[in-house]
Amino acid sequence: MAMMPKRVKFRKEQRRVRPRKATKGNYVAFGDYGLQALDGAWVAARQLEAGRVAAQHFLKREGKLYIRVFPDKPISKKPLETRMGTGKAEVEYWAARVKPGTILFEIAGVPEATAKRALVRVAMKMPIRCRFVGRRIAV
Amino acid sequence: MHEKSPLLTAEKRDRIGSRYAARDRAKGRLPAIVYGHGREPLPITLDTKQALTLITKGEKVFRLDFPGHKEADEMQMVLLKDLQFDYLGTNIVHADFARVDLNERVRTRVHINLIGDAKGLKQAGAILVHPNLEIEIECRVVDLPDGIELNVAELDLGQMITAGQVKLPRDDMKLVTDSHAVVAQVVLGGVTKTAEEETAAAGTAAEPEVITAKKPEEGAAKTAGKADAKPDAKAAGGDAKKK
Repeated sequence: MAMMPKRVKFRKEQRRVRPRKATKGNYVAFGDYGLQALDGAWVAARQLEAGRVAAQHFLKREGKLYIRVFPDKPISKKPLETRMGTGKAEVEYWAARVKPGTILFEIAGVPEATAKRALVRVAMKMPIRCRFVGRRIAV
Repeated sequence: MHEKSPLLTAEKRDRIGSRYAARDRAKGRLPAIVYGHGREPLPITLDTKQALTLITKGEKVFRLDFPGHKEADEMQMVLLKDLQFDYLGTNIVHADFARVDLNERVRTRVHINLIGDAKGLKQAGAILVHPNLEIEIECRVVDLPDGIELNVAELDLGQMITAGQVKLPRDDMKLVTDSHAVVAQVVLGGVTKTAEEETAAAGTAAEPEVITAKKPEEGAAKTAGKADAKPDAKAAGGDAKKK
């Protein structure tokens, strides 16, 4: 089963406006290299799980993988061929709110070439454009 | 003047604000600010290419030169205090400098260069993690090191080196970072639980627990309460009408 919160305050949530540009979680903090989102999206828990499986299958127990986003937003969807109305639909899946610049995954303990190859595979599973990044210059 | 410090050619900024800063960037200038020593903050621009070359090399102390201003105090020693990046972290959009004297004690972050291959890395799945590769120290500006070398060759699996164990180059240097902060540690990295394993271990259901959900007993009691109240109200209303 994909990631989801253990406890929530409310079962369903409004869609809300997606703000532009990430102002936090937009730099590599734990690992050495990361995968940065270049677009905004709701990344579903199953997509994150697919990325995690792809990376860990490639890394073969080498290094450490960090997932920097968590799918805590319930997305509800009406069944097909259903008339409008009769209240809000049931929760279909959980998604992480991703803004342009957000770091999605990080890898530590492997050489740059290996990390890049692993994260390219992860990027294939993401619904948005991503890029490989390293750590920022620290002052 | 400190001869070793690189020279940065600066120009004073007459107009400040994001709009003018964006125009400066388009012209190949990097907006920056110089402050400290009880004097007014001075907005300046630097040559982006020159500044970034030096900053990416790891330089921290600079000499600022203002061409066209021949006064002696116009040549200033400054310490790089902060950098601002764009939202993708690709470009540096602004730099902060603090005025310093060479003998002044300052607090700044220094990078730690790890040397050697840790002994514990020979074990399968072991990785070297370094949560804090920069430590904050207090020292004189002239003694500011480019980096601190730390030998991790003797580090075995599960062992760690904390900031307090890092040997500073000079005795008069003082560690500001928490001495218990982990600088380098050898841990087993590859063994991470899958989401299925985690869910099975936690024993959680397919749906999360809703904190604000009404309990069935409370709900039943409320419904019963309403049912009791309604006939009374109706009766009272009926009486009132009769009266």
